[in-house]
Amino acid sequence: MIICSDIRKSYSHGGRHKQVLNGINLVIKQGDRVGLLGRNGAGKSTLIKLIGGVEMPTSGKIIRNMSVSWPLGFAGGFQGSLTGLDNARFIARIYRREYPDIRRFVEDFTELGKQLQMPVKTYSSGMRARLAFALSLAIEFDCYLIDEIILVGDQNFQRKCHAEMFEKRQERSMIVASHSSEFIRGFCNRAIIIHEGKAIMMDDVNEAVDQYETL
Amino acid sequence: MAKSSLLRLQNSWSMQVRVVHALMIRELITRFGRENIGFLWIMAEPLLFAGLVGLLWHFTHGSTEHGVGVIAFVATGYIPITLFRHGVSRSVAVFTANQSLLYHRQVKTVDFILARFIIEVLGGMMAYLFMAVVLIGFGQFPIPSDIGLLIAGWLLYSVFCFSLCLIIAPLSEMSETMEKFIPVITYIMIPFSGLFYMVSWLTPDAQAVLLFSPFVNCMEMMRKGIWGDQVTAYYNIWNPIVCSTVAILMGLILCRRVRRTLTVE
Repeated sequence: MIICSDIRKSYSHGGRHKQVLNGINLVIKQGDRVGLLGRNGAGKSTLIKLIGGVEMPTSGKIIRNMSVSWPLGFAGGFQGSLTGLDNARFIARIYRREYPDIRRFVEDFTELGKQLQMPVKTYSSGMRARLAFALSLAIEFDCYLIDEIILVGDQNFQRKCHAEMFEKRQERSMIVASHSSEFIRGFCNRAIIIHEGKAIMMDDVNEAVDQYETL
Repeated sequence: MAKSSLLRLQNSWSMQVRVVHALMIRELITRFGRENIGFLWIMAEPLLFAGLVGLLWHFTHGSTEHGVGVIAFVATGYIPITLFRHGVSRSVAVFTANQSLLYHRQVKTVDFILARFIIEVLGGMMAYLFMAVVLIGFGQFPIPSDIGLLIAGWLLYSVFCFSLCLIIAPLSEMSETMEKFIPVITYIMIPFSGLFYMVSWLTPDAQAVLLFSPFVNCMEMMRKGIWGDQVTAYYNIWNPIVCSTVAILMGLILCRRVRRTLTVE
């Protein structure tokens, strides 16, 4: 279970002050597949970063009673100057996993071949997505945080993700930020709309998507 | 209750050890690559610096000063100061440089500083050892008379440098102007580092001032450990211990505060 109680987050830079999240209360249970809806700049990524522990809330508390992945997104998680395999080795080390197992899974899942021996900064966003997914699947988290990235992959990647995430790991939780109504209708069982710093959790995904589309 | 918190402490400790280890390997690969002598480059710079300045002094000041071999004296001063200067410059903006790794919750900001600093310490100590062995071979360096004191001095010196890095790293994230002052500050520090002198060579007024500097106290310990009865050393072991403890506390508090507001891309 993940419990967010009264989370507020503001950024200030050079005297300017921006309140992004203003009192978010959420409970995410085992097996929840939560779609995160909101317009650009509404605070979807910020909320995902806070839940993932990448940034700290200005006030409020987040309790994680299950293992939570790092936010899988376009940025972060990798050292660009290192090769894909060196990154895999680093991650295996800090998550106490056996590198050969991780490597086998990564090679198999990403199908990147020789490219894995190139620095990650030379990867396209689709390739990054493959690597991030492969690593987080190999580590096995209870809850996956996914920031947009699932849709950048090609057909083959989406098919693989589908098999690994939605068929083999049905009992896991997932929080996905996405602008794709179709995706959220298809794969989520709950949805959160973030608007003006507040979050509304809805059990009816279709209703949530309809409401989001009127924003 | 007490047992479970002890267990948690043990777990967190072993996790941080893993993280620092992984960060060090990552750092060594990015900085030195896997080609030619690889990570042995970390001792190249302190060695060159100490060696060349030592030679320069040898020709300008003569081969001994106050009865102590000049090359050895300069080298024992320069290697620790390179540790200080490198440690400080590596700590500047270290959180931003490594921010993508903060995506992994078990990676803490202090780990970044620690990983880089340990690499510098290893480099400095290897250079020191290498230089001592070579100079002993040429008869330019005495067999240390009190190895324990030498090592104690080195360790205290390193701990104090580390405690400064803990303060500088978060400060450099808080303000960019801070970054611009660092080269000047490390330069101004040189006379207070005990690099060019033994305290006993100076006037009583200067001695009183310089003995406030933890660097000078540690340097005196190291040199006493090397030359033994050939030199008179003034030091108080509590000075670096107290200064480091205070600085470490301040540093940890600053790191924690900065982490709370750190924006990670």
